[in-house]
Parts: sequence; structure tokens; C-alpha cells
Amino acid sequence: MLKIKDLHAGYGRIQILAGVNLEAEEGQVTAVLGGNGTGKSTLLKAISGLIVPWNGSVEFDGEPVEGLRPDRIVRRGLVQVTQGKEVYPAMSVEENIKLGAYVRSDRQGIADDFERVYSYFPILKEHRKSHAGILSGGQLQMLCIGRGLMANPKMIMLDEPSSALAPQAVMDIFRSINRIRRDGTTVLLVEQNVRMALLLANYGYVIKDGVIHMEGLARDLINDDNVRLSYLGGTVADTTGAAATL
Amino acid sequence: MLVDLVMIGLSIGMIYGLVALGISLIYSGLDIVHFAHGEMYMFGAFIGMTVYTQLNLLYPFTFVVALLGTALMGIVIERVFYRRLTAGGGGYTVAGMGIIICGFGMALFLQNLAYVIWDPTPKPFPVDFGRAIVIGDIYYPRVYLWIVIMAVALMVVLNVFLRHTKLGLAIRAMARNKDIAFLMGINVPLMISLTFGVACALAAAAGVLIGPINHVEIYMGYLILIKGFAAAVVGGFGSLPGAVVGGVIVGVAESLGAGYLSGNYKDIYAFLILIFVLMVRPSGLFSVETKLKA
Repeated sequence: MLKIKDLHAGYGRIQILAGVNLEAEEGQVTAVLGGNGTGKSTLLKAISGLIVPWNGSVEFDGEPVEGLRPDRIVRRGLVQVTQGKEVYPAMSVEENIKLGAYVRSDRQGIADDFERVYSYFPILKEHRKSHAGILSGGQLQMLCIGRGLMANPKMIMLDEPSSALAPQAVMDIFRSINRIRRDGTTVLLVEQNVRMALLLANYGYVIKDGVIHMEGLARDLINDDNVRLSYLGGTVADTTGAAATL
Repeated sequence: MLVDLVMIGLSIGMIYGLVALGISLIYSGLDIVHFAHGEMYMFGAFIGMTVYTQLNLLYPFTFVVALLGTALMGIVIERVFYRRLTAGGGGYTVAGMGIIICGFGMALFLQNLAYVIWDPTPKPFPVDFGRAIVIGDIYYPRVYLWIVIMAVALMVVLNVFLRHTKLGLAIRAMARNKDIAFLMGINVPLMISLTFGVACALAAAAGVLIGPINHVEIYMGYLILIKGFAAAVVGGFGSLPGAVVGGVIVGVAESLGAGYLSGNYKDIYAFLILIFVLMVRPSGLFSVETKLKA
């Protein structure tokens, strides 16, 4: 569904991505893992068009999309949810979610997707008339993901949805990502929470210094000694314990 | 006397309000402090005057032509000059200085362009609005009434447009955060052009409305810019309701000051209010939360 070849990108003269190769299969969760400053967010921005790639190709759904304006890419069904949990605080939760459907005009489809979003995140339905400014961090993240889903994307890219959230909220978010995949939306998940991401994902990439450092099936990566040493810590028991909660 | 002065002040305040609205709209939407906005007002007035006297169009049609013409001019200027500069940041940042200087340069350029086209002698904009309204002691020329009606109508239209249309929603989303707006599928560059065009059209409207009272001349943009800024700051810079209220306050204060104190110092009263508001409540009367961005 998404094929990235030799992608170079950066800000101004500073290069961040130095030739990323990555593929995401339809109907799966593909995880991109790595620490701070390794180029994860830059990768998503270069895919979604918020920054223009210097070099390389991005192919979505069989067609090249690199260099297109972000709104054009959204209309092709590829939506990015950014990291900042940025919403319109003075608007109600409902209005914020509705903004995500800006590109659509099919009333019935929008109504159906509202129900879909509320089924993933019932707490948003409870607060639908409240100002978005009163929501907690986890609820804001749900709102941002819900808003992204309202464009009815074929694929959604999530930039560190678990960052700065309480453990319980992290669990809720990951559970809903699991349901989003089950309902047929492909997911590209950028995460620092390597354990949770690998438990959820089908396939994983580890990014380091702007290139793909390691890749493989998620279940192989989670047992890989290098990954375990560098990113996981803890014991196998911790891992299986967390797996049971998903 | 008091009623006369307040009513005339209210009308002039609407003019300031329209200009301040444009300044605030551009600032909150595009992060540009637009120093050539007075020249948009001047060009609007000149286009209106030219169309009115040369083509003998009705005054309302003059209005439409001036608004569209100035909006188009503004859009081209923003697209060609300001947009390259805003890529590095705007507003009060260091990068924003470039935009401010570019705005000053643009103002000078446009003044000289007007000089070449229309020459510097003040031109009349002779519109006949009929006899003044006289109720007892109150004497109210119809042109002032016309200003209030048109300005309020434009403000209502702008409000409905921003609050209740899909395009307005897209503009508000763009003003708040361009990246997020992009990721919702909004054509951000188009919304930027639209915002700038609307702001310039508001200035043009003010120019066409004031034209029949004063003469139309190429230096008229200078003072209105400062008055517009005073109005915008008094109301709360970036706040749209604040711009209108600020405009009315400045207009009424000026009118009362001219009537009761001295007409010679008319232009000073606006700045006295500005300084007073900045000392007592530097964020302006309307706090930042109420501005377009919220």
C-alpha cells in the first residue's frame, strides 16, 4: 500500500533522512521505532507532504505522491495524525471531530464514521458537547485520531500516539489502534514505546540516524537480542504480561 | 451637539473598524503585520472614484468593483512578495521584521504608483446622497448613515462567512494551525490568499465609503494605517470583534475631542486613547482568547 524508496529529507540545509526504504502492507500495522531525533517524525512529514522530500520516491496505493501538497495527499486517502495533540480548544469535541471530514460531502458516510469514531472512543461521545479544551491528554489523543479517521482514510499514520500519556491511557489508545486495523484501515505507527508497538504491529522498522537500521516481523524483532538490549529492557515475563492486556 | 458628534464619530469609527478588521484578520491568519494596508484603502478609494466618475456606475456597483479590484491586487501582492518571506516565520519574530520592511516598501511603491496613475492633486468623489436628516437639533448627513449601514452589513457578512460556512471554517482552521489544517485536507495556500483578499477588500470598502466625505488623494493611506492600528490595538490585536469596538471607540473619542476640545488636535485623541489602553490593559479590551484563532 505504501512504498518508500531511498527517501532523503530535512529542514533547511540540515539533512535528517538519509535514504529510507520502507513498505507498509495493506490491512496491517507497520511500526517505525526509534529514539528521539532519529527522524521518525520527519519521515511522516515527508510522506504526508508537510515537508517536501529532497530525493527518493513515495508511492501510495500504486501512485507516486512525493512532492504533492498535503491536502491532495489527504484526498487520496493517506492521513497523518501529528504528535502535538493539537485541537481547537474553543470548539466542541463534536465540531473538532467533524473538521476531519472537511474533504467529504457524503452525509450518510460522515454520520456512519461519527458512530465508528464514537464506538472506538465512547468517552468522546460522553463529552461531545464540551469544549475540547477540557479534555485530558489521553482524550485529546483520541480526539486527534478520531478526527483523522473522519477523512475515511485508506491508511492512517500516527506519530507517537502514546507520548506523554498515563499507562492506562496508553493501553486504551493501543487497543483502539488494534480495532482500527481490524476494521480495515492500514496503520503506520511511529513509536518510542517499542514494546507496545511491537506487540501490536505486524512488521517493524527500527530507524536510526535517518536510515532504517533493522527490520523484520514484529514477533521476531521483539525477541531479537539487539532490539531487546537497545530498546526494551525488562524480562520476557513483562512482555507477555503486557501482551495479555491488548 | 453631543448626539451629532457621537453619531458622526460612530460613522468614522466604522471606517477605522473596517481597516482594523483587515489588519487583525491578516495578523491572526497569516502572521503578517501589514504596513501597506493603508494603501489598500487608498487604492480602493481611487478605483471607486475612477469607476464612479468615468463609467457613471451607480454607487453600489462602484463598491463591488473597488472591493474586487483591491482584493485581487492584495492577493497578487501577498502571493508574489509576502509569501516568500513568511516561509521563515512572521509576526513578532526576527524573521517578521523582513515582512514589516517589505510592507513599508510596498506602501511607498503603491503611493508612487498612484502618483503616476492619478497625480497628487486631491480628487473629488462626488456622490449625491440626498439631503441631510434633520430631527430637531440633530443634523445628520446621509452619507454618514450610509457608512454605518454598509459597514455593519459587511461586518455581519464577514461574521456569517467565518462562523457558518465551510470556507470560513477552513480559514479559521488555517489561522489556528497551518499544518493541522493541511492534514485535514484544507487547501492552505488558497485560504491564505482568500484571507488576504478579504482583508484588502474591507480596506477598499472603507476607502470607498470615506471618499465622498473627504477628497481622494494618494497620501490618505498613511494616517488611516495608524488609526487602524490604534483601533486594532485598543480592541486587542488579532481580535475581530475587538477591531470593530476599537474602531468605534477611537472614532467617537476623536469626534468628541474635536467638538469639545479642539478640532486642530483631532488626530491626537486616537493616540491618547491608544497610550491609555496600552498602559492600563496592554492586551487590549478583548483578550486573546476571543480572537479568530480560538
